[in-house]
Amino acid sequence: MIRARLIWIVLGYGGLAAGACLLAPLVGSTHISLARAFDRSIPFADNVDAQIFFVARMPRVLTGAIVGSTLAAAGVVMQALLGNPLATPFTLGVSTGAALGAVLAITFGSSLAVSALASVPLASLAGAVVASAIVYVLATRPGRPISTMVLLLAGVTLNAFFSALILFVQYAADFTQAYRTIRWLMGDLDVGGFEPIVAALPMVLVALGLFAFLPRSLNLLSVGADVASTRGVDVGRTQRLAFLSASLATAAAVSLAGPIGFVGIVVPHLVRLMVGVDHRIVLPASALFGAAFLVGCDLIARTVLAPVEVPVGVVTAMLGGPFFLWLLVRKS
Amino acid sequence: MSAEPARRVVSLVPNVTEMLFAVGAGSQVVGVSSYDDFPPETKALPHVGALLDPDTERIFSLRPDLVIAYGSQTELENRFARASIRVYSYRHAGVDNVLQTIRDVARLTGHEAEGDRVVRDLRSQLDAIRTRVRGQPRPRTMLVLGRDAGALRGVYTSGGIGFLHELLDIAGGDDVFGDIKRESVQPSSETMIVRAPQVIIEVHSGDPPRADVLQRERASWNALASVPAIRNNRVHLLYGSYLMAAGPRLGHAAETLARVLHPEMFR
Amino acid sequence: MLRADNVSFGYEGGFSLRDATVVVSPGSLTGLLGPNGCGKTTLLKLLCGVLRPQAGRVLLGDRAVESMTRRGLARRVAVVPQETHPAFDYSVLEMVLMGRHPHLGAFQLEGPADLEIARASLEATGTAHLAARNYMTLSGGEKQRVIIASALAQATEFLLLDEPTASLDLGYQLEVAALLARLNRERKVTMVLATHDLNLAASLCDRLVVMRDGRVLAQGATTDVLTGDMVRQLYDVDADVAFHPRAGHLTVVPVRRLA
Repeated sequence: MIRARLIWIVLGYGGLAAGACLLAPLVGSTHISLARAFDRSIPFADNVDAQIFFVARMPRVLTGAIVGSTLAAAGVVMQALLGNPLATPFTLGVSTGAALGAVLAITFGSSLAVSALASVPLASLAGAVVASAIVYVLATRPGRPISTMVLLLAGVTLNAFFSALILFVQYAADFTQAYRTIRWLMGDLDVGGFEPIVAALPMVLVALGLFAFLPRSLNLLSVGADVASTRGVDVGRTQRLAFLSASLATAAAVSLAGPIGFVGIVVPHLVRLMVGVDHRIVLPASALFGAAFLVGCDLIARTVLAPVEVPVGVVTAMLGGPFFLWLLVRKS
Repeated sequence: MSAEPARRVVSLVPNVTEMLFAVGAGSQVVGVSSYDDFPPETKALPHVGALLDPDTERIFSLRPDLVIAYGSQTELENRFARASIRVYSYRHAGVDNVLQTIRDVARLTGHEAEGDRVVRDLRSQLDAIRTRVRGQPRPRTMLVLGRDAGALRGVYTSGGIGFLHELLDIAGGDDVFGDIKRESVQPSSETMIVRAPQVIIEVHSGDPPRADVLQRERASWNALASVPAIRNNRVHLLYGSYLMAAGPRLGHAAETLARVLHPEMFR
Repeated sequence: MLRADNVSFGYEGGFSLRDATVVVSPGSLTGLLGPNGCGKTTLLKLLCGVLRPQAGRVLLGDRAVESMTRRGLARRVAVVPQETHPAFDYSVLEMVLMGRHPHLGAFQLEGPADLEIARASLEATGTAHLAARNYMTLSGGEKQRVIIASALAQATEFLLLDEPTASLDLGYQLEVAALLARLNRERKVTMVLATHDLNLAASLCDRLVVMRDGRVLAQGATTDVLTGDMVRQLYDVDADVAFHPRAGHLTVVPVRRLA
């Protein structure tokens, strides 16, 4: 019975995600004709429709699908790990670490001889890894389960400290650099080709692969750590795996497209409203719905004020805010 | 307003500092901004901050009778006004504004004649360039003001307003975003494909990087290989502080742009 | 046989349990009785392997609990905690099915057999009609019975309970007590329950382990151990302990606090 439900839901949401990915490249601020885009007789250099479809929109839609699914899944895992439906992939400081890396690269990158460090994606990945490592070391004791209270405190502390560092670096930056930092913080799916996607893909696949081991343990863990232990769950190992995989997923997503907020909290909530709370269903469904969701938000971002583009993080925030207001009203 | 020329000037605006030196008022400058490095004499002068972080104490300690500040620094201006220090309020705009500013600061520092001469020379320089490229086809040009290092992200370009846009116009190029009429635009890959510029010019205010880094930066554009400028290898990465200094060197900047757009007119 | 041999356990401040030896014989219904802070919860956690003793050993049969895998242990010992607060809105059936975890492979989904065991457990605790309900919307007594059903679904020889009736109204207290007695009798589940409720211990348990300040004062048959003297030792209270004909077991009536 559970197997049947799981299969149907995965197929359904998978269809939604696939549909979004297939349709989104067709729509945009410039009208293109699908027939023309696929017309092989026109040389690529002259076929603007094809150029727009394959070079501008496809990588963007692909990035949206990858980032959307990764952030949504990481959100589910984080919420289970912290036992709190209000947790997000950014709660434990991964994205603040990434932001610090990005700010440092933007502000000091041009004065660094090592050209690799000037790269914002690499620097933000490094920042994310450093932040996660600090939180991990602060919150874990070998062989013992992690106290979620300590974990949360470590994350909050790291967020505060790194945010202060970011402000400090911003102050030292010139106007252009400050503007570019703000722009990065709004998120951007236009990653400029397929290379950045290919670079991020291994991390994403590893993280999603690790996620596959978690759902049933997360169910038990979210009822209580001690109880889970008495039912045979290795609580310490589950917590560590959840933290590491969610941090890896978030680091990959944020270093690729910047910190796009609300996906990691709105999607899990919406999905739970639709399919219940069993993580074995919520996790894959959220990943698939997250892909469709972010691709849809990017579509809105590209078209609502065409030809001006709204940063996709602004669209997710504009949708996320009222959603939570509605949730709040509903609960009371 | 006193008609006495200012004897001690503090300038928070780097391009206006350049203007002061160009009109002969260099010896009257007692303090410059943190970003000042041209002309070389400014390196030895006290640096007092800039747009976001002006060090008012330091400025006061230099006992200026004229402070050049940004138009948006109204707080600062009020403070100086209360101390009876003259403030000249600078705002970024087009070429005419730059020339007018040169005249203004020349007058304020008692170098009116030199100011007029500098402006005349600049005008004739610009006219000469206009003449040289007249009649030539004007390539659709994307003037890139910034881009993430090593990637095709965070691109922002001229949007049809401002002195760089006007220099491009003088140099014989058509700003591909000229119709947008904004200070800057952040085009997406799609927008750049649709606008299909024939020439791409990137301006950087620093020194040119190592050859391998320069190559990598040029190669960043290859993701959009189908855009005419990239296809026909008309992507130019220009380096030099004079390129983005809205001051006495703008004639040099205009000429550099013209040479890139119409090399055959400069043989 | 589940036994603790000279186990000690302490936190930063000091020892919460010292040199405790307890023997739980199969089929018995043993109570760990004592005032708050006497160490009964710590002992319970040691018995089910959630905590490791700093001295001494806990043995299940002839194997040290420490050396067993969590899964292996979970198939033999189940625990009903004092309170359960799930972070998400699981249904009653989902809560009970969680008890099947130690019997399922890594990626295995619950099969018809597991569902059958879950339903039977719900039936046994009189909560079958609540299967589709959201656990958080149940009353205190219903919640406790569902948690017991979940532990039953684990199909273990031993069931450990921590203050199973502490937060319940009188009616539900009697209901849960009757349920536990029946399960012990009919399914031969060996039970250990930690409680500070003297009358619950008297009515339900055939064996008692009385504790105070981290030490075991006495253990044995309830009728032998539960005396007026013992109550005085545990609680500094003068009480009447007598067999109550209508109830059918010992009852404790506190009379007066002693200085």
